Amino acid sequence: MSTSGPASAGMPHVKSLNCPGCGASLTVRSFGNAVTIICNSCHSILDAQDPKLKILQTFKAKANEDPPLIPLGSRGTIRGVAYEAIGFQRRTIQVEGISYSWHEYVLFNPIKGFRYLTEYDGHWNDVSILRSLPDLSPGEGSLKYLGETYNHFQTANAATSFVLGEFPWQVRVGETVQVSDYVSPPRVISGEGTRKEATWSMGEYMAGREVWKAFNLGGQPPAAIGVYENQPSPLGANVKGVWTLLGVFLAALLAMAVGFYSVARDEEVFDQTYMFDTTPKGEASFVTDTFQLKGRTSDVELTTSAQVDNNWIYINYALINQDTGHAYDFGREVSYYHGYDSDGSWTEGSRENRVVVPSVPPGNYYLRIEPESDPHRGTITYTVTLKRDVPQASFFGIAILALLLPAGILTWRSLNFEHLRWAESDYGKAPDDGSLLSSVENIAGSFKSSGDKE
Amino acid sequence: MTQPTANCPNCGAKITFRWSGSVQTVCEYCKSVLVRTDLDLQKVGQVADLPPNSSPVQIGTEGIYGRRAFVVIGRIIYEYDQGNWNEWHLVMNDGASGWLSDAQLEYAITFSAPGQTLPGECKLGQEFRWNNQAYTVTTITKAHYCGVEGELPFQYWDKSDLLFVDLMSHTNKFATIDYGEDPPILYLGEAVEFENLKLKNLRSFEGWS
Amino acid sequence: MIRRLFLFYGLAVLAAVSFAEYRGWSLNRMDEVPNVPRSVRDNPGSYRSVYGFYHHYTGGK
Repeated sequence: MSTSGPASAGMPHVKSLNCPGCGASLTVRSFGNAVTIICNSCHSILDAQDPKLKILQTFKAKANEDPPLIPLGSRGTIRGVAYEAIGFQRRTIQVEGISYSWHEYVLFNPIKGFRYLTEYDGHWNDVSILRSLPDLSPGEGSLKYLGETYNHFQTANAATSFVLGEFPWQVRVGETVQVSDYVSPPRVISGEGTRKEATWSMGEYMAGREVWKAFNLGGQPPAAIGVYENQPSPLGANVKGVWTLLGVFLAALLAMAVGFYSVARDEEVFDQTYMFDTTPKGEASFVTDTFQLKGRTSDVELTTSAQVDNNWIYINYALINQDTGHAYDFGREVSYYHGYDSDGSWTEGSRENRVVVPSVPPGNYYLRIEPESDPHRGTITYTVTLKRDVPQASFFGIAILALLLPAGILTWRSLNFEHLRWAESDYGKAPDDGSLLSSVENIAGSFKSSGDKE
Repeated sequence: MTQPTANCPNCGAKITFRWSGSVQTVCEYCKSVLVRTDLDLQKVGQVADLPPNSSPVQIGTEGIYGRRAFVVIGRIIYEYDQGNWNEWHLVMNDGASGWLSDAQLEYAITFSAPGQTLPGECKLGQEFRWNNQAYTVTTITKAHYCGVEGELPFQYWDKSDLLFVDLMSHTNKFATIDYGEDPPILYLGEAVEFENLKLKNLRSFEGWS
Repeated sequence: MIRRLFLFYGLAVLAAVSFAEYRGWSLNRMDEVPNVPRSVRDNPGSYRSVYGFYHHYTGGK
């Protein structure tokens, strides 16, 4: 049903007014929603609801001080809704004697309402007012909102240091308010005001290039410096996923190890004992009888054990395929020394030596053996044993390390990122919430403080 | 359903009531505030020009809340130190009367909730429990009316400063206590997102499609 | 993205281990000598590792 009679008012339009302080032209974009409007020429804060624009405050500022990165009057689209930047302010806090300032932009859509963008050191946040109350923990160290826990990051007194454009609330330069931030990256919940009368808002982290894209701005956004309180970790969720995958891989490795160890032939195909007379005479080399290496192409483990006592024996081996003439040529040393000195008894070396010959095709083989040792040291008895298709643990060990390495690096980098984040907080370190990060930081902290005097 | 009609006692224009429960209305032509007695309309005052508030909602705006459709039939504008806000009077399709508040384009829908005991005064942070929901006092505002429009369920104009207490909860539930009446009136409802109201017949703004 | 990369990496590691175990690879390098003549069985002293390195005539004039 439509109204009859005259319309209640003409279509609201953007107004142009003159500043009562200096006569400069002012553009009013908020269709009557603004409470205060600032003249950028004479820096007077005017009452936007008063048709005469009464002057509420005048503050000192340089000409073109702090130009907003998003020019007032620019339109941009955030979450599918078009907004116009109509207001801008700079707020400053003091932490340990150092001033930190951030900027806030008031975004306006005449039907959908207000939104705010904050910017600090190149980090942006898309902020909107909360319509329901977060649940503060008893010590106010954290709060819960919509099932998510936010940890307290910082509380500071924020002073308004510069204003521009239009605001839907009363602004005054120099006015302070207590602000508390609670983070759950990529979100942050801020409470402004006193404990009893707080206005709560939620911010979601935005990268500079997203803002530039939303508002179609030219040039490049300012580079983000350091890690911001609610900046999402580029690794974050991945760390957990990677360790879960790692667990799966390790389980698979275990299954594979069990499989290979049970399936391997581990078959002894040769076992002979020889005596080597170290008296130098003629040819020391000899060949063994042939033996068969069965199954698929796999490894052969050769064990040389020699009864050396403070002596050594070096055996030149050639594992020769009788049919193809293909041979594996290698030498192994077995040496064992022992004695007694001021520190007690000592031993060096071993009476046994193992080597794995890789990828030996099946077939008929024999060994050509040529032992060497110090001359005139008597007779050395040694045993040569060959095993076919022996599973090797070393590959599994390497695989474990190969899998742990990227997971470890990822975790270290993630912890580093979080450390940088929390270094900027009131605490200088992560909250004690049982997370891996806080445990590592607590351990690191206890190492540092263990050197302090009690 | 036939709607009662009458003539404005001041200028003779035709007045149509969209809601049978309306007690007061404003003549669109001469801006006289008219109160409905058993027999006819009585002029009780005059409304000055409305302040330049620019809510997108207007008389005749339609929308949906929950499962009920509604039409905006009246408005009260309140003014306080931070600016002003609108209380739009709604009539639901089942005949119930409700309110859509628009404060800096933040919307809430409430309905009067009689039968609850209310304290003489409230403090910030004070907690209450109504209909099994906990509420906390978040704002106490001293405001005065600065304009009326359309049909209202009571007589309302030319009043001095009154106290409004707003309460929020851990959910979207929202409440207001109007201390302008004696005894104070409690309104219970919830904060709503603009999109969910599916509003039609809104005002348009220069430069915004 | 990182999880997918790690998945492929891990699968590659597992595949490599499987292949190494199946084919009987070894961590040590092993010299191989092709074409050892049958005469070595009768005269083991004639075998020299040099067979593995020289594939050209070294017998002098």
